[in-house]
Amino acid sequence: MSKTTHYPSYDVMSHAEHWDDHTQHIVTSRLIREKSYSFLTTVEAEILRAWCSKLVGDMRGEIIQYVLCHIDQTLSDGRGEGQRKPDVAPAPELIRKGLKAIDATCQSLHAKHFFELEDYMQQGLMKDISEGSAEPASIWASVPQQDLFKKLLNYTLEAYYSHPTVWSEIGYAGPAYPRGYIRARAGQWDAWEARLENES
Amino acid sequence: MNRKYANEEVDVVIVGAGAAGGVLAKELSESGMSVVVLDAGPMWDPQHDFASDELSMQRLGWEETRLVDGRDPLTMGHNNSGRGIGGGTTHFTGVFLRFHDADFRARTLDGVADDWPIGYDDLAPYYDKIEKEIAVSGPKHFPWGNFHGPYLYPERDPLSPNAYVFQKGCEALGIRHVVAPLAILSAPFEDRPPCINRGFCNQGCMPNAKFSTLIVHIPKAMRAGAEVLPNCMVTQVMTDKHGRASGVTFVHEGKEYVQKARLVILSAYVVETPRLLLNSANGRYPSGLANSSGWVGRGFMTHSSHDVYAKFAEEVRLYKGTPVLATTQDFYETMPDAGFVRGYTLHAHGARPLAFVKGIANSQTGLLWGEKLRQTALDYNFYGRVTMVGEVLPHPDNRITLADEKDDLGLPRAKVTFSFGENDRRLIDHAVVKMGQILEAAGGKVEFVVPDTAHLMGGCRMGANPDESVVNSYGQTHDIPNLFICDASIFVTSGAGNPTNTVMALAARTADYIRKQAAQLFSLSEKPIHV
Repeated sequence: MSKTTHYPSYDVMSHAEHWDDHTQHIVTSRLIREKSYSFLTTVEAEILRAWCSKLVGDMRGEIIQYVLCHIDQTLSDGRGEGQRKPDVAPAPELIRKGLKAIDATCQSLHAKHFFELEDYMQQGLMKDISEGSAEPASIWASVPQQDLFKKLLNYTLEAYYSHPTVWSEIGYAGPAYPRGYIRARAGQWDAWEARLENES
Repeated sequence: MNRKYANEEVDVVIVGAGAAGGVLAKELSESGMSVVVLDAGPMWDPQHDFASDELSMQRLGWEETRLVDGRDPLTMGHNNSGRGIGGGTTHFTGVFLRFHDADFRARTLDGVADDWPIGYDDLAPYYDKIEKEIAVSGPKHFPWGNFHGPYLYPERDPLSPNAYVFQKGCEALGIRHVVAPLAILSAPFEDRPPCINRGFCNQGCMPNAKFSTLIVHIPKAMRAGAEVLPNCMVTQVMTDKHGRASGVTFVHEGKEYVQKARLVILSAYVVETPRLLLNSANGRYPSGLANSSGWVGRGFMTHSSHDVYAKFAEEVRLYKGTPVLATTQDFYETMPDAGFVRGYTLHAHGARPLAFVKGIANSQTGLLWGEKLRQTALDYNFYGRVTMVGEVLPHPDNRITLADEKDDLGLPRAKVTFSFGENDRRLIDHAVVKMGQILEAAGGKVEFVVPDTAHLMGGCRMGANPDESVVNSYGQTHDIPNLFICDASIFVTSGAGNPTNTVMALAARTADYIRKQAAQLFSLSEKPIHV
């Protein structure tokens, strides 16, 4: 059986009262499910729900919902991308066209949406796209597959690993202001840090 | 917009309130000049705008899209350029190193790149001044380069768990190491507290223990009378009928304004400074301002900054403490028989979860995602990391140009074309091996090598010959005597250590020059310029 967490009883949110108000507000808001999307259509959101779950190996609804909301907000608020290759479309266009291509591929091969496919089929298509080898060419000619894959991976990871539930699982002690760290040597822990629990 | 100098010609307008712009604004306004500072981004309030959170603080980087091209397209934004008052100093690690004498003499010593028109001794008094001004903490003895300490403030203590791992590895291999010199307080200074090892230097320091021009130089400049205007994107440097710089145009909340000035200084960093010069082309200067040599935008450099992650049997906890607390420069200068010239600095470098996961997902061995990534990330606390700051040699084809695509203001976006050279690659390979050895000597097993870059330098290089450089050693453009460039774009080589100290020392030197030459600079005759 694959491992889950070294810190099963650790909950970083139980320390939230010690964080500054601004950080508390930002992190706490990640626990609230938003209901409407500004950019994503329903089908796009459902493709992404399956896709992003697979990207992070986690099916938990509330966390993936936060990932979707983060992607939706990033694509709709007009911010820049930092960098983009000249032959790649801006992120909103790249992802819209990419999701359309994913759907068209699944429809042409299986007459189903991506989120209706068996696990192994989803996994297989994702692997192909990550390697830039998805077919048919008629669907993928205008979508740079690896750029699409990496963009979605990046958005997904930055949201997923900003979720406090995931912080707790990896034993990340989270925000540290106004308090900081004092005990820094090997085998030393400050009071609010996670402690190893399930070592056999 | 409530203005102090609207419709007035000021002595100096400075574009960009980052590491260099902050120093210039303070120095020049304190010497009695009327100064306006324009910055494209907001005025941050550390206690209310910053947070202990990686995701939300990505906005401290310049997120506006740049087009990246070449064999090794760069990651921009948070990786190198800042946005808002304070620029990159709001989100740098605070590592505060001096360049070595050898950094100014690459051509003489190694037959590569070019020599700077100045040497270490020209900058030494300005390094002293800047380090004193911000109370740099560091070791009593620094073993490498020209400056051996002691630093004004004692070295930091305690260090981070990852720094102790690094020390252990270096000790086992006989590599000299020190606690990193940092622009982070180890004891109270002025009205600021010492560091509490919170660890979020890259996300903006909330306690104000880490220096930034946002909290140090800009407030001093404002107290001395400088007008600092956030959210003002400069769109053009204007020239008068004689070809001299006469001010700038800028956009604030969709409306265009003009700021007239007797002296224009661009401190907008390695991408935006050349972009602005090129976007300011006019009938008299059809290929952009200060570009008679054709060198505007050319020869820019980054630092190679590969990270090596090793897994340990015991927890390390990379999230704890100031990211960089232990350092070696044992491999800084050309090593005989190494198969490449120049060198690198190695740092123990902490990482919060996003930096860790984004790194290992894109390591040299390929994309990591799905269940395998999740399983690996569950062991986040068991990883240690070392990072490199490697010298990258300049090449004229690594350049900033204007793209066909336009931004929201209708200005052509910057295109950033970059490829590593053969020497750069060999240097990286050497450093990666060395980093792995240090981690393994400390008891770890190397699992991920993550290609990365950091810092940008060059693109408007200084030089004595106007045919092959853009500015003289004071940042004064060869073509237009009242147009200055003062930021990392005037670097000739990239050196092998974090550049912020050098950027600020150069700014202090330029400010000194402008102060001494003021009478002459401000009374420039109305004669046309011959370019």
